[in-house]
Amino acid sequence: MAAIEVRDLVKTYVLSETHRVEALRGLTLSVNKGEFLSVLGPSGSGKSTLMHILGCLDQPTSGEYRLMGRDVARLGNDERARIRNEEIGFVFQSFHLLARASALENVELPMLYGAKRPGREERRQKAAEALEAVRLSDRATHAPSQLSGGQQQRVAIARALANRPGLLLADEPTGNLDTRTGREILDTFARLNSERGLTVIMITHDRQVAQYASRSVELRDGRILTDEAISGNGATPGA
Amino acid sequence: MLKRIPLNRDQIQNLVREMPAERRTALETAFQSLRRYPLRTALTLLGLAFGVAALMATIALGRGAQGAIRDQVRAAGLNVIEITAGNYRTRGERPIGGVEAPTRHGAALPPGALERLLRKIEPVALAHPENDPMEKHDHPTAAERLGDSAAGLGAAATLTSDDAEAIASLSGVAHVASGIHESVRVFAGDRRWFTRLHGTDVDLVQIRRSFAMQHGRFFSSGELRRSSQVVVLGSVARDQLFGQNEDPVGREVTIWNQAFEVVGVVVSTNWMNPGAPGDDEFDAVYTPFTAVHRLLNATNLNSITVTAASSGRVTEVSRSITDLLRERHGIGETQADDFTVTTQASEVLGKGLHPKVAETLAGNIPNLERTTLRQLAATLERSSRTMSALLLAIALVSLIVGAIGISNVMLLSVRERIREIGLRMAVGAQTGDVGSQFLTESVLLGAAGGVLGVVIGAVAAVVVESSFGLAVEVSVVAGLISFVVALLTGVIAGVSPARRAARLDPIVALGSE
Repeated sequence: MAAIEVRDLVKTYVLSETHRVEALRGLTLSVNKGEFLSVLGPSGSGKSTLMHILGCLDQPTSGEYRLMGRDVARLGNDERARIRNEEIGFVFQSFHLLARASALENVELPMLYGAKRPGREERRQKAAEALEAVRLSDRATHAPSQLSGGQQQRVAIARALANRPGLLLADEPTGNLDTRTGREILDTFARLNSERGLTVIMITHDRQVAQYASRSVELRDGRILTDEAISGNGATPGA
Repeated sequence: MLKRIPLNRDQIQNLVREMPAERRTALETAFQSLRRYPLRTALTLLGLAFGVAALMATIALGRGAQGAIRDQVRAAGLNVIEITAGNYRTRGERPIGGVEAPTRHGAALPPGALERLLRKIEPVALAHPENDPMEKHDHPTAAERLGDSAAGLGAAATLTSDDAEAIASLSGVAHVASGIHESVRVFAGDRRWFTRLHGTDVDLVQIRRSFAMQHGRFFSSGELRRSSQVVVLGSVARDQLFGQNEDPVGREVTIWNQAFEVVGVVVSTNWMNPGAPGDDEFDAVYTPFTAVHRLLNATNLNSITVTAASSGRVTEVSRSITDLLRERHGIGETQADDFTVTTQASEVLGKGLHPKVAETLAGNIPNLERTTLRQLAATLERSSRTMSALLLAIALVSLIVGAIGISNVMLLSVRERIREIGLRMAVGAQTGDVGSQFLTESVLLGAAGGVLGVVIGAVAAVVVESSFGLAVEVSVVAGLISFVVALLTGVIAGVSPARRAARLDPIVALGSE
């Protein structure tokens, strides 16, 4: 079953009456549940725009978008917030951790919002589980400034997992990390993908990083240039 | 709601747990944010707290000042009507309902006339050996027998105790005290003191509201009826005769070679008129007027002091007194009164200087003292009102500054935390969640600043009271008003930052640096 189905996706930014930027020009893509997809492309290829739309942070100008079978292309702000909360976990290049909160509190953040809003104890317990999943249990009370870059990004991954979403969206997750630490993070994605069947979409401009995925899509000028499976990875290819 | 004021941590947590989830989130996130930036929170809080404290202290000071003035004015007795024998009033002062006597020295005095008058009077007044207060006599002097006015400036003792009784039966009259006033030399052991003697009635304590018995009691109606030789000392007279703060009750003094038993000491409760040598109330001794009558073999009174049942009836009562006395004294239509009715209310403050100086010459010193007292009260009230207005203005400015402070800090904090807001939105915070978090932060600041401000304000008010001796009235109402104002300040200051935060686009917010 498809986790994501996108058809003829168009996103046009109107900067002024005479100046428009067509970031996406009719992109069609289907991602199965449990796939680990990398989206590759130089800057300006439209990969960030695609990520925003797939992450329900933005609406497409036209086209269809189905997430877990649900049409989400035309949803309003608060409904998209609800989808983000329940279905999507974000991992950013610059981690985006709350500086003055502990690792545990950072992981709890998504549980403060949405429909369920568990109580303090449950929140704490689930956050601890998420930290366990990224092997950071021993750093739960540390502030981000006391953690290394790799550890910070793992806290961010734990936060993305907190509400047990079906989709993990990573935007240049290794961009701020050295190669070795970056590999650890990528291994974490691969492990979560294979162990939990989590759908992972990772955006990158780095071909080597893209090779960690089970499938790679290359964007150019708002359209898909290539779409190929990568063999030899431990990741489960889409059914 | 009041019954459920949370008392401990568990109860607070239970309360939080019972809240709707959205409000709980707002409260939790707001609390966390405030806790994570303690310095910013504390500074914002202090800013507001001082505004609220200023407001609180202003209300307390203003109310205290008003209360003090009210008490003082009440103590000065604005419903007192004084009837004195004789009629010599100055120009510009009109008798109430009566016919004005031809003025003797009241016509607008030309500059320098007063000094000439004083030069003329003084040698005459002191030339007579009887009038030298330090001269020892074994008999009452003329001034002592007849009162200053009679001896020096020609008063007539036209009032009698029957007049007083008739006045007492008028409607609207609360208390009546007959008065016969003499200057006497009082002896106690080897000490002596030249002072005023007031032969009066038991009602005087009701009339003089600034009187308090420091020791003993006032003389009784039984002693009045029996013309007993008992005396109540004014605090100044007591100080001179027995020493500072001594209790002379039960001891004896000698007046007119007669033994009088001291039954009490009166002190002033009015700080504007604490009693000083030479004044008429506390440098004085009080005896039953019947005793004075018996010893001097007299029946006349120098004055009758009356209080109206309420200060609103003063004019009405003084008119009926005038009518009654004119009738009793058989005064014809065109004739002037042979008495003077003075009410404190009838004397307008803005009078020119000359009539007042002339009034002094006329020997109407008690009257002048009361005028001064009333002027003082009016001035005090005016200045306290000015002070209250000024303090209120300061308080309002501080509050506005406090509100701007909160608003500023919240706006800054929104700007500073744009990325945080973007992240919260990315992980599922809705517009309402973000808005209510920031509004809640602001309201929490307002509430905490309010509580802190009320405490600081109350403490400041008490400190001001004890160190500057200003009257202060810290009331629950003032505290509540100040707290509510602080809370409202928090709400109002938080609206715009909250709206700004809620309207952020998550993509833009996440991408900002």
